Amino acid sequence: MIDFVQNTVDGIMFGSSYALLAIGFTIVFGVMRRLNLAFGATIMLGAYAGTWLHVHHEVNLVVVALTTLACTVLAGIYVERLCFHAVRRDAALASMVSSFVIWMQLEEVAIHLLPERTYAFPSLFIAGSFEIGPLLFRGEQTTMLVLAAVMVGALHLLLQRTRYGLALRAICENPRAADYMGIDTPRVMLCAFALVSLIGGVAGYTILATDEQITPFFGLWATFKGLIAMMLGGMGSLPGAILGGLVLGVVEAHALWYLGNEYKDLSAYVLLFAMLVLRPGGFMGQRILGREELAFRRV
Amino acid sequence: MLELRGLSKHFGGVKAVDELDITVDEGEIFGLIGPNGSGKSTTINLICGVYEETAGTVRFREELMNGKQPHQRLRAGIARTFQNIRLFPNLTVWQNLWVARNSPQDLAAQGFLSRWFGATRRTRREIAELLEFADLEHKGDELASNLAFGEQRRLEFARAAAARPKLLLLDEPAAGMNRQEIHDLSGRIRRMRDSGVTILLVEHVMELVMGVAERIAVLNFGQKIASGTPGDVQRNRAVQEAYLGTSESDSPPVDTGD
Repeated sequence: MIDFVQNTVDGIMFGSSYALLAIGFTIVFGVMRRLNLAFGATIMLGAYAGTWLHVHHEVNLVVVALTTLACTVLAGIYVERLCFHAVRRDAALASMVSSFVIWMQLEEVAIHLLPERTYAFPSLFIAGSFEIGPLLFRGEQTTMLVLAAVMVGALHLLLQRTRYGLALRAICENPRAADYMGIDTPRVMLCAFALVSLIGGVAGYTILATDEQITPFFGLWATFKGLIAMMLGGMGSLPGAILGGLVLGVVEAHALWYLGNEYKDLSAYVLLFAMLVLRPGGFMGQRILGREELAFRRV
Repeated sequence: MLELRGLSKHFGGVKAVDELDITVDEGEIFGLIGPNGSGKSTTINLICGVYEETAGTVRFREELMNGKQPHQRLRAGIARTFQNIRLFPNLTVWQNLWVARNSPQDLAAQGFLSRWFGATRRTRREIAELLEFADLEHKGDELASNLAFGEQRRLEFARAAAARPKLLLLDEPAAGMNRQEIHDLSGRIRRMRDSGVTILLVEHVMELVMGVAERIAVLNFGQKIASGTPGDVQRNRAVQEAYLGTSESDSPPVDTGD
């Protein structure tokens, strides 16, 4: 029983970073109705820049973290300019395909930056474990959860209370009407990319600092986890992305404990399969469908 | 104020708008009428930049608008409402108005923080005035999707006004309204004009256009067939023929490619 609770707690903690990855996908999808496949790769490249500094100049932890975030944001803006800004709004498929190509490009850049297969990623030194009753809280994972909660809280305030957040939601709800209200859609979208890159950068950094190693495949891994968590929750839904990330984390934690490491990733795909069969729209999918219908009626 | 010269829009072989010349003077209420499919909505869409014109020019306050995006035209001072309501359903009434305040003087008057994050006291006061204008004082915190139809129309009017336009395009604002609501709407349109906004009114409901417009242009098959005061237009032979067989005041609003 205590194992079950401990696994669930671990799962929620790790799942919080899945939730951040899913938020990155879902915001871009919600605003643009397009999928940014290069999202994981931008985070990977940002983290590679941080690792490069760490390997060659032995900079400290804070510099690695800040470099990771800054370079992820830069890479995100690069992807936005190339695959989304430059491509017409109704050509969603072109954006998706070009973001896939940019993914490959970013991976190449990372491999040229640091040619070996695996590098050590500096772990969080503040990471001491502590116990509450019979439960063990690992420091890195607690940091992960706290940071994720802060990010989600800040994002919520941004979307509900600020004019920028309102502009973003207005574009989600009715892109054409937003145009006529004088909302500078291209600029809001650029900011949205910088924003989700920042969120993704935080998620990527905490995950890597927990794993203490990085490979170019981190981009692929982050894209998979983020996409699965988003699909579980329902595409375009923020609460769905958070819920999807947490559920994914918990299911993986249980699979790891009861079935072993080789079943951890498999459990994610089984979960997604089950969701697609039972409730194709995801947990929060119904509302999205409703809104889509509403938008359709209004066009 | 607004000058359309030789404005044309062809969809394949269909000439939705053909060689249209219209001049709207500053401070007037100008009516644009015509049977269904005569090109009224297309004209509005050309003026505010949804469609790219096939030929001709749109000048607004001497400035050439051709090739400008809708949000650029809005910042130049052209705002519009929609034939079919397009509010942001999951934003509150207040937020719908706030998010529409993107005029250059609004943006210039605000610092970086208030521009992106909070509303200044002046903004709050002006939004309160807009709520009063639309008769929605007590509905500020309602979600737009929870408003009744008439309230949604009023909110849309106020939202267009929030952008502080110099020219306001009203695309069939009276569609689906009863007599009392049309009466209120006329008052609101006049009030808007008196505050210094030029109005271009596209409408099926003759009661509204004839009552409120000072000059009228009549379209048929994308061409202007008559123009003048409401009296001139009503007496015009070509206009009577264009409308023959259709009941003027209650022909159903048909989406003409908006």
